[in-house]
Amino acid sequence: MKNKLKYFYSYTPLIVFLILVLFFARQLILKEDPSELPSVLIDEKFPSIILSELVGYKVFSNKNLINANGPSLVNIWSSWCVPCKVEHEYLMSMSNNYNIIIYGINYKDNKEDALKVLDLNGNPFYAIGADQDGMQSINLGVYGVPETFIIDRDGNIRYRHVGPILEYDMEKIILPIINKIKQERL
Amino acid sequence: MIIELGHFLLALALSLSIFQFLVPAVGVKFNSHSMMKSTSIIAYMSFILVLFSFLSLVYAYITSDFSVSLVAKNSHSLKPLLYKISGVWGNHEGSLLLWVLILTFYSVAVAILGRRLPLKLLSLVLSCQGLIAVAFISFILFTSNPFVRIFFPNAEGEGFNPILQDFGLAIHPPFLYLGYVGLSVTFSFSIAALLVGKVDTIWVKWVRPWTLIAWVFLTIGIALGSWWAYRELGWGGWWFWDPVENASFMPWLAATALLHSSIVAEKRDTLKAWTILLAIIAFSFCLLGTFIVRSGVLVSVHAFASDPSRGLYILLLLVFFTGGGLALFAKRAPYLKSGSLFKPLSREGALVINNIIFASAAATVLLGTLYPIFIDAINNSKVSVGPPYFEAVFIPLMVPAILLCAFSPMLSWKRAIIDNIIERIIAVFICSLFLASLIIIIYGGSASAFLGLFLAFWLICGTLYEFLIKVGVKSSFKTFIQRALNLPRSAYGMSVAHIGVAIFIIGVTVSSAWRIDIEKPIILGEKIIVKDIELTFKNIKKVEGPNWNADRGEFEIITSNGAKHFLYPERRFYPASQVNTSEPAIMSGIFSDLYIVLGESLQEEDSFAFRIYYSPFISWIWFGILLMAMGGILSLSDRKHRLGYGLKQV
Amino acid sequence: MTTIIKFIFCFFIISNSVLADTNNKAAYELYKELRCLVCQNQSLLESNAPLALDLKKVVMDKIELGQSKNEIKKFLVDRYGEFILLKPKYSIQNILLWLGPILFLLIGFFVTFVFLRKQSMYKEEPLPLTNEEENSLKKILDNNVS
Repeated sequence: MKNKLKYFYSYTPLIVFLILVLFFARQLILKEDPSELPSVLIDEKFPSIILSELVGYKVFSNKNLINANGPSLVNIWSSWCVPCKVEHEYLMSMSNNYNIIIYGINYKDNKEDALKVLDLNGNPFYAIGADQDGMQSINLGVYGVPETFIIDRDGNIRYRHVGPILEYDMEKIILPIINKIKQERL
Repeated sequence: MIIELGHFLLALALSLSIFQFLVPAVGVKFNSHSMMKSTSIIAYMSFILVLFSFLSLVYAYITSDFSVSLVAKNSHSLKPLLYKISGVWGNHEGSLLLWVLILTFYSVAVAILGRRLPLKLLSLVLSCQGLIAVAFISFILFTSNPFVRIFFPNAEGEGFNPILQDFGLAIHPPFLYLGYVGLSVTFSFSIAALLVGKVDTIWVKWVRPWTLIAWVFLTIGIALGSWWAYRELGWGGWWFWDPVENASFMPWLAATALLHSSIVAEKRDTLKAWTILLAIIAFSFCLLGTFIVRSGVLVSVHAFASDPSRGLYILLLLVFFTGGGLALFAKRAPYLKSGSLFKPLSREGALVINNIIFASAAATVLLGTLYPIFIDAINNSKVSVGPPYFEAVFIPLMVPAILLCAFSPMLSWKRAIIDNIIERIIAVFICSLFLASLIIIIYGGSASAFLGLFLAFWLICGTLYEFLIKVGVKSSFKTFIQRALNLPRSAYGMSVAHIGVAIFIIGVTVSSAWRIDIEKPIILGEKIIVKDIELTFKNIKKVEGPNWNADRGEFEIITSNGAKHFLYPERRFYPASQVNTSEPAIMSGIFSDLYIVLGESLQEEDSFAFRIYYSPFISWIWFGILLMAMGGILSLSDRKHRLGYGLKQV
Repeated sequence: MTTIIKFIFCFFIISNSVLADTNNKAAYELYKELRCLVCQNQSLLESNAPLALDLKKVVMDKIELGQSKNEIKKFLVDRYGEFILLKPKYSIQNILLWLGPILFLLIGFFVTFVFLRKQSMYKEEPLPLTNEEENSLKKILDNNVS
């Protein structure tokens, strides 16, 4: 009887170890990028932000996002951000071909440079505001450029996409979510 | 051609390692004397093959053979020779080859030094080492091959990150691996003991020296890494509780516990099952460290380019060796004969408490490092565990260990008499209280500074007191010298190592409590006074390096005794990767370091952002660690612990 | 009159710099506890990344407004999640993390105690004699012999 107890104790290290392995295996299988942050604002109202105008373009605030006619995107971009240039054509596609309303926040940028990019490459945005010191974007939990938020009709954040929206992202992630929102409350 | 030869030799080494695993195992099973005897030769050949394989890679680096993919990615024709060579192991594939080289080298060492071990035991140890070699060599050949060629080599090579071209960083991996792989030897010994079914005196006499060797290398390796981080990473810190640093610290904590428990096992023939378990766990921490660094499951500054498929392979290695070892332990350990008894208040008791504390410390570091993974799996939320956590829990954990450390050498084996001990504790207490208070009163400091100093003095006074008692301070000078010379080296080793810990604590305490941190913009020509040192920002000019351009500032430093020095902090920009780095300029001294970091140029003319750190006694951190390692080396040189001692009677 | 004005002026400047110092110190401590989200593993204090500088500004502004450490931390956690805290919150979720070390110690002592007690129950070895006991035994034996 006493020997059995000793027996049990000696298996403890092995059991603890195997539990650890389960956790490791899960991490490996998921293949997550450990430095990528999920947004904590999901399912919450888009925070109130104050943006400054870009000459020649309509500006917006969070009020535009509430009680809208449908889902919209808020895209944070800068003229000095290289992935933003790559994502631009897909933003144009979503705006022109899929008629998605995209609001742009120009992040910590020189207004002239931003205007130049829009003139040269086209404007996918329904309205644009500038967040020149980056403080407004902090309210959104933005930690890099580009980032894109999907907002539903009531002004709630449904998804945050980190990094550029490329073809795969557009087709497999962004558009499906937008369609899903459109189908709510038909 | 040479590279292909190296590749071939490695493949050959794999086959030989398979033999090194099978032959002795079969030999033990069927009691074939000749099979067991031939294992050593297989081990020697295996090492030679890996050595030449490794040398072929070194040759490729030295000759800057950029047709080899690894060399093209990690080396550059303009690198100095030393860094070309150290570039061999400055990447995932090459470092694994170094690991295997050291592994086979240790197998040879065991085979030679263990000539007089019982043949069955030696065979099982070499067999286990062979199996580990099989696992790692196949890992290299199947997932991380350093010998791959590319077809359109870049003429110059792409790897020229000057941050990595530092002497400390160059030799840090070899030392670290000598430590990790040393722990594989104690692991193999433990497996062998469990398989044989008994742990006799010969076994315990062997574990301690090998543990010491691994421990000394690990200690130096970690110190080198920390020293490099301090000098290169630009913010005056020397330890960040980063997952990769923790990955090397956990084996160290386990190895320290193992060191102390093997003393008990050797002297008193008890705690043997625990020692075996610790040896298995220590090596498992090494494998775990390899997993953390190379699999990409945790965020870290240091990680090699990570790859989940490699991570999976290492996880399998971990399951096989650790799982296998722990399973074997679970089955066999209860049947090991238990040893002699001791009362709680005794040398054994104190060492047991030491082990509990160090094991808890290792478990705590593991908990903190892996907690993000646990919470992510359970709650799907992201938390981060950083230095504030580790500092808050680790230091309180270590305090009792340090308190114990000073007077446990005064405790006798089996049971200690309390009265003498209490007298001595009180003496040491008063002495340390006095010295610590004196310093706080003179220089002013916080409660934590006081605690740190108190602990350091406690350790120094206690260790010196114990030394004086052993040598007999009351007798004549001649007897004193005689007894001092007759003291075994391991006794000196212990005292030196413990004093090293105290020096380390002083370094940590003083450099953080009395540190001066200045962050301000400085204009060209401006003079700043820090403590009794005058700094003048004399000049700034643009300089160019092979793949960077930088602003280099010039500071004239005048110390209190009038000596003049110059410091040149740089802020570099690498156009290829669009990265800015800071090269701090450090003036190191025994009693303080002056550390200048150049920041951005500011809007005002000739004005730059600077960070100046004045860290008193920070070098004592590395002196202390060095002293600890020297203590270990002293102990190793003790004749009694020389491998093979006492076997003539067998 | 002018002396009074000068005095008030000096007091204002000194107390402002003392305030600035206290604020700096508080900011310093908070920076150490917040993670730089775009660096691999640094705190705000050590990082010079643009986002880190912005966050440091936010922290400093709030300290000057008089907000407490916890309020500032909550502000950031509300926007970035608990990941930004390098010192994990004292919450139920993290209870194992903070109690872990003590638990390990207790389990260690418990296991050791149980094992050693088991051992002593099996063995019946008398404890060895101490030096004093040896001497008195010797004396008794000598006395008996003589």
